[in-house]
Amino acid sequence: MAKAQRIAFVCPRFAEHGTVGGAETLLKALAERVARSGREVNFLTTCATNHFTWENTVPPGTRTYGPLRVTFFPVNEDRDVGAFLSIQHRIDKRQPISRADEETWMAHSVNSRALIQHLRDHLDQYDRIVTGPYLFGISYFASLLDPSKTVLVPCLHDEPFAYLTITRDLFRAVPRFIFNTEPEKTLARRLYDLPDRGLVVGMGIEDMPVDPAAFARRHHLDQPYIIYSGRRETLKGTPILTAYLQAFRERTGRDVRMVFTGSGDIEAPDALRPALLDVGFVSEQEKREAMAGAVCFVHASVNESLGIVLLEAWLAGTPSLVHAKSVVLRDQCRRAGGGLWFRHYPDFEEALLRLLDDPGLRQRLAESGRRFVLEQYSWSAVERRLLAALDADA
Amino acid sequence: MDQADVQIFAPGVDTDAVMRDIQSTVARKSEEGVYADARVARAERTNLIHLRDDEGFLAFYLSALREAAFVDINDFDIRERRARFAPLLVRLKKTIWNLLKFYTFRMWSQQNTVNGLFVTGLETMHEQYQDRIKKLEARIAELEARASGR
Repeated sequence: MAKAQRIAFVCPRFAEHGTVGGAETLLKALAERVARSGREVNFLTTCATNHFTWENTVPPGTRTYGPLRVTFFPVNEDRDVGAFLSIQHRIDKRQPISRADEETWMAHSVNSRALIQHLRDHLDQYDRIVTGPYLFGISYFASLLDPSKTVLVPCLHDEPFAYLTITRDLFRAVPRFIFNTEPEKTLARRLYDLPDRGLVVGMGIEDMPVDPAAFARRHHLDQPYIIYSGRRETLKGTPILTAYLQAFRERTGRDVRMVFTGSGDIEAPDALRPALLDVGFVSEQEKREAMAGAVCFVHASVNESLGIVLLEAWLAGTPSLVHAKSVVLRDQCRRAGGGLWFRHYPDFEEALLRLLDDPGLRQRLAESGRRFVLEQYSWSAVERRLLAALDADA
Repeated sequence: MDQADVQIFAPGVDTDAVMRDIQSTVARKSEEGVYADARVARAERTNLIHLRDDEGFLAFYLSALREAAFVDINDFDIRERRARFAPLLVRLKKTIWNLLKFYTFRMWSQQNTVNGLFVTGLETMHEQYQDRIKKLEARIAELEARASGR
C-alpha cells in the first residue's frame, strides 16, 4: 500500500465549473488525479467563490464532483479586513513590519475556523495534507497543524509576501513540497536556505486535435495575429503587449492583429482597438484553435509560477514570446526550446519579425514546444511525479 | 523513486543561440539609431518598472526620455474627413490653429527648453557618476594590486 493513502487537499476555493484561479485549478486537477489513482481524497475548501469579497456564497456541506468528495466550510466572517489590508499595503510597499503584524496579517487573511477544526478532529484519518498557495491563512494554518503530514504547493513568486518571517518559518517547517517549475524550487531554496527537498510536478495538459485555420475562418481574420489568454490586468502585463503591438504596427507597417481570450478590460491605445479581437471566455476547443492559428502566444507577466497557458499554446503547436523578467516563463521557453523572450520593445520587435518572416524557425520552436509538453506534462508523467511527491519521506 | 527520475527537462531548439542573434541585431540597430523613435519611448513606458534593476537600465531610460522629451510644436497637415463642406472646415480649423499657435508656441517652446535641460542635466550627471565610479574602481584595483604585491 502507498505511504500516502488518505489525503486531504485544502484549498481556498473550489470551482464547480471552469476556472477560479491558476493555483486553485492546479490543486483541483491534482486532487482529481490522485483520486483516480485509487487513493482516498477529501477536498476541503471554503464556501467562497469571489476572491475580492470572500463572501460565503455556496452552502456548506459535502458534495461529490466526479471523482472528488468536496467539503465546503464557511470563511470566518469576523475577519478584520481593515487591519489585513492596512498591513498588506505596508508589505506591498516593502516597508519593514514586526512579527506581530505579520501574524495579524495572516490571522485576518482568508481563514476558516470550521475547516481547521475539521482537520484537527480528523488528523489521524489523513496521511497527507496537501495545501496551497502559501500566502492564504487557510493554507498556512492547515500546513502547521501537523507539518510532518504536510505537502505544500506554494505557487511561490518573488514578491513581498515571500520575504516575511512567517513565510520563511512555514517553508522551513514543512518537509514536502510540490513545485510547479525548477525556478520556483530554486527561489524557495535561495530565500529560505532549504535543503534539496520537494519535487517539480506541474500540471498535466490534455492534448486535443485542432484545426489551426478554424478560428481565423470563424472570425473572418485574414491577417496574421498574436494571442494572449487569461486575465487582462497590469500584473499580467497586458498593457505592455498592447503598447508594443501599437508601436510594432506603426513602425513596421505590418497589419498584425491580436486576439484575447479570457476576462477583464483591455487597456489599449484607441488607435489599436480595430486591430484587437476580444472573444472573452471560450471553450477549451476554441481557445486551442485560436492558439494554433496564431503567429505566437505572447505573455508579458513577470510573476508566474507555471504558466499553464504557455504549455497549452505549445501543445497547440504555437511558439511563445515572453517577458525576459519572468524567470519561470523564460526558463520554460529555454527548457522546451519552444519560445523566445524580450527585455524591451526592440527585442519584441526583432523577435516578432523573425517569427513572422522565418517560418522554419517558427516551426522548429513550435515542434520543440509541443514535444516538451507531450513528454513532460502529459498526465501520466505528472501523475508519476505527483505520487512520488506524496509518498516522499519527511 | 530517485529524484533524478522525475526532473523536468527536454532538449529542443537552442533558444539561447536564437536570442543571442536577436540581441546582437538589436544592439547593431540601436547603434544605427533605428530605435531612436518617440513611438518606442511611448511603448516602453509600461515596461520600465520591470527593467529598473537591470544594468544599463538608466542609459536605456535616458535615451527613451530624450526621445519623449520634445513635444512637436510645428505646423501640421490639417485635413477634414467629411467630404461635405471640407474646404470650409479646413479653413476654419487652420484659422483656429493660427490663433492658438500665437499663444501655445511660446508656452510649448519654453516647455521643450525645460524638458531638454532636464534630460541634458540627467545625462551629464549620469556620465559624471559613471566616470567617477570607473576612476574609483581603477583606484581600488591599483590599491589591491599594491597590497597583494606587498
